[in-house]
Amino acid sequence: MFAAPEGTRFVLPPEARQRAQLVEKLQRLYDTWGYARVDTPMLEPYTPKHPRAEQSFKLSDRDSGVLSLRSDFTTALSALVETHFPNEQAPMRFQYEGHLLLAIKNPDLARTREFTQLGLELIGVSNARADAELIHLARESVRAVGLTPRVELGNPGYVQVLFDLAEIPEVLQESLADAIDRKDEATLENLLHSVEISSELYRALKTIPDLYGNVQILEEAKKLTPWPEARAKLERIEAVLAEFEDDSELLIDLGMARRLSYYTGITFRAYTFDFGQPLLGGGRYDGVLLPYAAGFGIGLERLLSALPQKGERMVAEVITLDDIPARALRQAGVWVERALSTDLAEVKAYAKSKGILYLLTDKGLEPLSEKAVPERLENLLEAKGA
Amino acid sequence: MHKLILALPKGRVLKESVTLLEKAGLSLALSEDDRALTHDSADVRILVMRNADVPTYVELGVADAGIVGKDVLLESGKTIYEPVDLNISHCRMSFIRQVGAKLEVRRVASKFPKVTQDYLRKMGSSAEVIKLSGNVELACLTGLADAVVDIVQTGSTLKANQLEEVEVIFHSSARFVVNRAALKLKAERLRPLIETLRILANT
Repeated sequence: MFAAPEGTRFVLPPEARQRAQLVEKLQRLYDTWGYARVDTPMLEPYTPKHPRAEQSFKLSDRDSGVLSLRSDFTTALSALVETHFPNEQAPMRFQYEGHLLLAIKNPDLARTREFTQLGLELIGVSNARADAELIHLARESVRAVGLTPRVELGNPGYVQVLFDLAEIPEVLQESLADAIDRKDEATLENLLHSVEISSELYRALKTIPDLYGNVQILEEAKKLTPWPEARAKLERIEAVLAEFEDDSELLIDLGMARRLSYYTGITFRAYTFDFGQPLLGGGRYDGVLLPYAAGFGIGLERLLSALPQKGERMVAEVITLDDIPARALRQAGVWVERALSTDLAEVKAYAKSKGILYLLTDKGLEPLSEKAVPERLENLLEAKGA
Repeated sequence: MHKLILALPKGRVLKESVTLLEKAGLSLALSEDDRALTHDSADVRILVMRNADVPTYVELGVADAGIVGKDVLLESGKTIYEPVDLNISHCRMSFIRQVGAKLEVRRVASKFPKVTQDYLRKMGSSAEVIKLSGNVELACLTGLADAVVDIVQTGSTLKANQLEEVEVIFHSSARFVVNRAALKLKAERLRPLIETLRILANT
């Protein structure tokens, strides 16, 4: 018997419908902000420079070239811009939605190897207004699917500036950044003891993991790191926040210091209450793939697991023997199944066993179950007719 | 208000952890029933589990925070915050061989295959790692492996079996770990708790 490869799955009703509805809601939100829909090929030429080169599926092409399956949208979108819009006037706004594949299991709740991602890229401009637009849309994406958003901002460049000021040896930077990112106080302290730095910088680096919370922590950070280079990074965050009328749903974590990602500027993640994982993540990656670019991506599977499962009925409401009387109902959006038998008794028995509520004949609607509320359909038809 | 959910390892560390958390001001209710998997007080729920499962519960946010040894945390490879070294349950992760063993290490047995693999890679060794579930010292004595990587507390078991620590890979102690989202969204409860635990751990 067929067995789906590890990390892949069939999407069944009613989930498939819920997924489509979520995607549509988000796409419509991005449409209204002028993000043009694009798609990219599932097959890409393999290059070891790709940020997910090691994790992607590779295939050999017939002319002995090597292909890989799409594993990241940001890189794909950059290729789209380079090849098709090299001289386009900035800013360019794009949205995408599609499947990604990884040869290794996604270290995620779902542990899938095939997953759906949708997201945005805002290309060609690098300023606080552009960052704020993306952060705003990240927040509104969470709200659009019915959850309460909290968006957390960070700037890994801030930690890097302090490393540079403290002249932290390159070999130590990665483990130090990792300890800061994990808020691992014990390891951080050990590592800091192994380098010679001023007591001000020691205090700053040791305190960074605790610099998270509301916007007020920026004031604390300014006092702790009075150096102009560090201030500039904090001021960029302030400038982004200044774009918001209401920043009560925004949080800051100056200890975001992941170095393996390609972000160079502001980074952000969106959370919701009572769900332990970020719903989306993004940031600015100027000069990495394109001179100026920022964006975010939402994993659809992650988003679905944060939402309550819908126990929606996946069965027709009405069964009909003939299409003509069903037309008006279908136009009103009612699910009307056409009977594939002409034997009335057989159709009724089938409808009852499936849980279909009404039988539609040229004589009108006949309720088949106690749960039937014929007024609902009559009202729908009247509303449509009027 | 939602309860704070804590993942704690069963066994010896459980009592120690509960004492520490109570000192830090949490009111906990640990039921007398040994079979109970959850323990609820007015505003805290405790989940009791095997220590290796604590990082998983915390990473996925099923628990907001927990207590687990650094050894188990490193083995799990999970990305969670670890803001407090609780300074309890001290032990060391060591590379162990039979006393006087000199031959090349080809196979290493351990309950911690990830830690072992990382260590071997760092040492430039391509020895094979064998995952075992307990009494790994036996692997060394029987020749199943040329060396083992394991937790050492006092070293008396090693001595009794003519084994020795060739190298201490790292020192471990229990950490207070926190889910990434919970630290931010339940900051009003977790921040003061972290502050208090830090003070308690250093006194």
